[in-house]
Amino acid sequence: MEITFILNRQKVRVDVPADITLLSLLRDYLHMTGTKVGCEVGECGACSVLLDGKLVDSCLVLAPQVEGREVITIEGVCAEDGSPSDLQKNFISAGAVQCGYCIPGMVMAGEALLRKTLKPTRSEIREALTGNLCRCTGYQQIVDAIEMTAKQRSQTQSGRDKNV
Amino acid sequence: MMKEMDYIRPNSIEEAVQILSDPGRRGKLLAGGTDLLVQKRVDPPDYDCFVDISRLSEIQQIRVSDGVFYLGAGVTHAVIAQDPLILKYVSFLAQACLSVGSPQIRNTGTLGGNVANAAACADSLPALVCLDAVAHLRSKRGERQMLVTELVKGPHETALETDELITHFTFLQPPPGVKTHFIKIGRRNAQSISRLSIAAMGRKDKNGNVDFIRICPGAATPRTMRFTEVETYLMGKQACEELYVDAGQRMAARMVEITGVRWSTEYKEVALKAITERVLREVLG
Repeated sequence: MEITFILNRQKVRVDVPADITLLSLLRDYLHMTGTKVGCEVGECGACSVLLDGKLVDSCLVLAPQVEGREVITIEGVCAEDGSPSDLQKNFISAGAVQCGYCIPGMVMAGEALLRKTLKPTRSEIREALTGNLCRCTGYQQIVDAIEMTAKQRSQTQSGRDKNV
Repeated sequence: MMKEMDYIRPNSIEEAVQILSDPGRRGKLLAGGTDLLVQKRVDPPDYDCFVDISRLSEIQQIRVSDGVFYLGAGVTHAVIAQDPLILKYVSFLAQACLSVGSPQIRNTGTLGGNVANAAACADSLPALVCLDAVAHLRSKRGERQMLVTELVKGPHETALETDELITHFTFLQPPPGVKTHFIKIGRRNAQSISRLSIAAMGRKDKNGNVDFIRICPGAATPRTMRFTEVETYLMGKQACEELYVDAGQRMAARMVEITGVRWSTEYKEVALKAITERVLREVLG
């Protein structure tokens, strides 16, 4: 069936079977492989994307459900010039990336949180990551990276507010 | 060759029940999809058409009028967990919904789906049953109502017909001063399936005696139900530690009476006693 939606700020039209997941649509049909396949039952969060700004597991969304809606994947969170975003850079500098498999999902979960608040507590950051599993880092550095980004973004924002 | 799966997104409840009653197809309701899409991986679907009700605004309202709560079946766990009316009057339902899965699951999974899927460990059931919540069902044949405790007959077994959908739940706003609380035991905090849970509502009068009490364990018995024998026992008694301990023993004994001794009983007896005491301390303390 035909599905039209906004993917990373661009309108996309595809013709796919009705019973595939959003995850499969992204990877197998649109060849955007940044979104990872993990458990495919909503346990690991490797396939996390933003759907109309909300964090969801793309393995548990049926592809036709995105008709007319906005999807943002890891490919859509980069800086304007295409380089890594501030959050992604902080993941690198905090040493939050080891094997890297969970990282696209982690970045999406972090991004979802930072869109809601720029002053999260560490426990709020941990809470925001409860749907994402990482078997390498022990999470500390991932929490650090998100915390760092929140501080930087809120400083930039308050700087901007003062100028106004 | 297998028939290709179809997908329809009805624009109204009316249209949805029309599709469900169509003898030419076997429709399956799709709301949050968090259970359905997992099941689809495991069991070959016995349906040939997804009927997507996730965007029906008719089933996504939360309101209170004249002391009656109206809660749409399509409301997500994330929305319930943050809703001001829920938090003000029936906060244990928010606690229960907040204990479901992960942020991702709560953003899509719905209350109606949690009930209709009817897992023994469904986190919303104990609170809904405590509230004597009524499920409102619709089909082309008309409307009917059923208590949630009767609608869910056992693990993954409901009284829902295949052409029926849950539109909303209603229940009375608890009387003034009644406190509510929910406790869940899982193997870890995040993403866990309930091993056991408990929901309670309670109030004591000015003399410290229990004058309102409802208590319902989750994942303890095949059908989620209030333990009314224990409620009756508690009514009118002085709220104190000894009473909570006593109630815990009675809850555990009642559970074993219903389920018989199972492989998990040794654990569940002790655990149910403990969370009964804790939940009573919260609502009567």
